[in-house]
Formats: sequence, C-alpha cells, structure tokens
Amino acid sequence: MKLSFSGVSRTFHSGRGQVRALRDVDLVVGEGELFVLLGPSGCGKSTVLNLAAGLVKPTSGEIRFGDRVVASRDRKVFVPPPERNVAMVFQSYALYPHLDVFENIAFPLRVAGSKKPEIDQVVTDAARTLGIGDLLRVRPAELSGGQRQRVAIARAIVRKPALFLLDEPLSNLDAGLRASTRVELKRLQRALGITTLYVTHDQTEAMSLGDRIALLRDGRIVQTGTPRDLYERPESPFAASFIGQAPMNLLNVSVLEEGGELRLRLGGKELPLPPDQARNVRSLGTGTVLLGIRPEDVRVGTGSSVNRVAGTVSAVESTGREELVHVLAGGSTITVFSKGASFREGDAVTIDIPMEAAHFFGKGGGER
Amino acid sequence: MSEERQVRILYVAGALGFMAFSLGPILYMALTAASRRPDFLSQASGWEFTLAHFAAVVGTPSLHFLDNLRNSIVVSGCASALCVAVAAPAAYAIARLELPGKALILLCVLAVSMFPPVSLVSYLFKVMAALGWINTYRALVLPYTAWILPLSLWILTGYFAQVPVDLDRAALVDGCSGLGVLRKVVIPVAAPGIFSTALLAFIFAFNEFLFALMLTTDHAARTVPVGIALFEGLHGEIPWGIVMAAATLTTVPVVFLTLVFQRRIVQGLTRGAIKG
Repeated sequence: MKLSFSGVSRTFHSGRGQVRALRDVDLVVGEGELFVLLGPSGCGKSTVLNLAAGLVKPTSGEIRFGDRVVASRDRKVFVPPPERNVAMVFQSYALYPHLDVFENIAFPLRVAGSKKPEIDQVVTDAARTLGIGDLLRVRPAELSGGQRQRVAIARAIVRKPALFLLDEPLSNLDAGLRASTRVELKRLQRALGITTLYVTHDQTEAMSLGDRIALLRDGRIVQTGTPRDLYERPESPFAASFIGQAPMNLLNVSVLEEGGELRLRLGGKELPLPPDQARNVRSLGTGTVLLGIRPEDVRVGTGSSVNRVAGTVSAVESTGREELVHVLAGGSTITVFSKGASFREGDAVTIDIPMEAAHFFGKGGGER
Repeated sequence: MSEERQVRILYVAGALGFMAFSLGPILYMALTAASRRPDFLSQASGWEFTLAHFAAVVGTPSLHFLDNLRNSIVVSGCASALCVAVAAPAAYAIARLELPGKALILLCVLAVSMFPPVSLVSYLFKVMAALGWINTYRALVLPYTAWILPLSLWILTGYFAQVPVDLDRAALVDGCSGLGVLRKVVIPVAAPGIFSTALLAFIFAFNEFLFALMLTTDHAARTVPVGIALFEGLHGEIPWGIVMAAATLTTVPVVFLTLVFQRRIVQGLTRGAIKG
C-alpha cells in the first residue's frame, strides 16, 4: 500500500506556547518500500509516525493510504488508529506486562476476534520466524532487551498490517545485537513486502536499511533520496554533516578570480578548481563559499607539493581499522581518515584536498 | 565500632521500636481478650488463658456481634467497590486525557475531602431521615463512598500515571477502542494499585465510627466499631474481656483481605512493560 502525506503540518500547544512539530511535509512511500525518516531528536520524525498511525491528528494537510484519505482536516476525515490496520514497534517496545509472550503476540488477533486455532497457528509461526518459539509462556519482565524487541516485532507482523511503523526499534540494543537485528529486520521486511516507515536518528542505520531516506530538521524535510543520493549529493551543509561515518568537514574558503580562472584560498595556499567544480562555485557567486569534504576523501601525509596544505595534528582517534586524524590547518580543524600511517599530536603534516570530491555550499546554507 | 555497624544497629533498633509501638496495643488487646481477668498486669491477678470471652462474643445473641460484623463487611465491601468503580475511570481521564484544568479538579477534590465529617453528620442525618434511609446499608454506603472517593481518586491517578503511555498507544494501534484500552490494558496493568486502593477504601469504611453511630439504630445496619462501643455489662461497667475479644475478631477480615491481596499488591506494577 502506498502512503502519502501532502502538505501536512502539526502544531502542539504546550504550557510554553505553540510548538510547530511539523511544517508542510510532503512524502510518498511506495508500495513495499522501506522508507527511513532520519533526523536529530526533536526534528518531528516521530510525529510523522504518530500521524501515520492516527495517534496524532494533522493540523492541516492530508494523509492517504493508497487512494483512501485517512486524515484531512479540510474534508473532516479522521480514521482512528484501530481502523487503520497499521502495526507499530515502539522504542520502548511497549509490551503488555500482564500478558505472557504468546498473549502479547496474540493481542491484536484477539482484539480483532480471530478464531482460536487460527491464533495458535499464526502466533506460533511468527514466534518461530523471530526465534522466540521457546519463550511463549514467559512474561516480558523475564526477557532480555533483544528478546523483548523480537516479541514487539512478532506482535506487529501477526496482523498482516497494511503499514509497518518502527520508532527507533534498535536504539535500546547493544552495538553487536543492533547490527545483526538490522540485517534481520531488512530481510523480514523484504520477505513480507509490507510498506514500512522507519524512524531513527542514527545515520548508519538509515544508510544500511533504507530504500529511501527523508532527512528532517526542525519539522521540515530537508532532503529526500536514496542513501547514495544523500551521501554523494547533499543539498545543504546540514545534510552534508549529518550523513557519513564522521561528519563532513565544512570550511569557509575565499574564492579568487584570476584571468577567468577560479581559485580557492585555504591555509595560505591558492588551490585551482577543475572546470566542472568551477562552474558550481561560480553559480554560488564569488566571495566566500563553504567547502565540504568528507574525512574519507582527504589524504594526509608528510610530503609537500603545490596543492598540499600544511597543518599540525591536534588529536587522533583510533577506530581500530583506521585513524581519524584532526588536523589544524589555516585556522580550521579538518578531520581525515588515515589508514596505515600513524600520527601523533603535534606532528607537522600536509593534507591534500581533492577538489573533484568536494561539495560547495553558498554562505546562506543554500544549494551548491 | 565501624560506621556501617552503627548504622545497622540503629536500623534494627529503629525497626524494632517502631514494631513495638505499632503492634504493642494489638498484642495487649489479644492478651486481654484471652485472659480470664482484664487486669492481668497487676500482681494480684496474673494472666490465665481462656477462650470464654470469644465464646461469649460469638455466642451471645443479645450482643449481635455477628450481625454487626456482617453489616460492616457488606457496607465496607460495597463502599469500596463503588469507590473504585467511580474513581478508576475518573483517574484514567485525569491521567490520560487532555482535560483543561486537571490540576484544579484534583485540588478541588482534595479540598472537598477536607470538610470535617462532624460538620456534615447532622445534615446527613436530616437527609437520610427525610429519605427514610436511617438504619439501612444505603445510609452508610453512599456517604462512605463520597468520603473515600477523593483519596481513591488521588491514589489511582498516581498509579495510572505510572502506566507507560506507550502501552495505551500500542493497544490503540493493535485495534482497541478507548474503553478497550482501559479494560484490556490499563486496568490489568494497574491492578496492584487498584487492589491496594480497594483495600484502603475497605479499611477506611470498616473503621468509620461517627456516621455509623448517627445513621444506624440497631443491629439491622449497625457496624462493628459502634457495636463494640455500645457493649455494656450487666451493671453498667465495661466488659473489657468481651470488648477486646470482639475487637480481636474484628481484625480478622481485614488481616485476611490483606493477606489474600498482598501478593497482587506487592508484585511490580509495570515490570517488563518497557526497556530496562
């Protein structure tokens, strides 16, 4: 089932006044797609989920399930959550503590009035799929975090929902379990083919799970696209710094024009621009621009050449496989992933910024 | 002596002292009830075991002790059940719905409960007399319910507020209606709180004296506290042995209820609902 939001806003009233949680959000999630909502806390991503579930009403705009309008203030339509046939996995799991695992998973079926043999069959199958078949008579209190999470997922899939909503489902698991559950979740979603909306603040999770990602900030969608789109073509400094294993370096550089050729001044060097990048920079106007470069694209070494900027190592973080080296150069700190060569604080180094991998943004934070 | 040891000793001494303070009168009551003579602490008499007082309390029809006990249990049971039945949905509304002025409602309820019963009892008598309800269960059940309701509402609001909101949301998404959420999830999860509220309401009603004294006239509706107070000996002296035996027997239903519900009250409220 296709899910679409058009022009959806939501304002909350609190003691301190109005909070605009969501502003004019347009969103289309295709049939069977795993769509990730990514953003920092408080960006409104959970509100999108609650709107889709019907736990929150939109202040304006329209939400459709396929062709059916499920919420629209103008048309005075609001389908309450019990009639939407959606399933939700909460960050807190929200298992019913007074029921055992079997009854927790069976709960939506019992509410729907399914027959006992059918319930037994469906619950047993779901439990087996998720590897919790031997825990059916255990209460949630006796389960580990990972097991609770599986119960919550089993409860969500038994009803064959039209829409699957996941609110930071992995955030309470430890790192190892999170990685393995991520893979499983993706496989399960593919196997069931249920349209899925997945909320997370973790860009790694978003990148590895999502068919497409919507990046949110302050209640607005700032960019929508495939993980590759967001990584390779960030449309704003915010998108650039939010996506990526380590945040993208954002440097203020001055643009100089000499005989029709553009150069960038950085750390006492004037760096030439390849023609296509020069076109990008020219469209932003001369003066100062924001240069974005990913730590994995920068090269650090000791050799010197025309295009290398000199700097000093200010800190080194080891990630095991490689090192994240912080280099102080030309008044700003540039982070660089370095494999092999080992650096220490205070080392004099030079860095090479390959211009073909750079992203440029206008000073107003606009497009490149 | 290490500090840890001192703390331990103070802790044990404090606990023992408090237990002696609370349980001493009850022990004294039980000993007096089972003693042949009430002044067993004086050197002249001494303590001698007997069940005669208990037999007298139960076996003397003119005392109407068993009638009073039945009245007490019925009245307190009804008041307690009614209290929880009214307070539970109200507490749910206050804990969960977006009501304007929730805090004001709770404060007003608290303020109303501050009226001293003695200022109400004469009017209550007039009302009950006009209704012709004097000396009936109704005359006690309704005032008790009204009197205990504020406390029940406060306690239950606290318990419902502790039930994670995500459970309501999960139940809604799983297909429950608003009432279904209350019936299938919130009430079962808050059951320990509801049981302890019901038990407290029962004990409050069970111990009430003033209304029961004014609004009942004989064993058809008179409750145990009033009944015991009106025990009289042959020549106007107070029959301590029988009074104490009756009082001891009166504690039995309350202790029994507490023991029955203890397991439910003690078990964790929302253990395992959410992470951690």
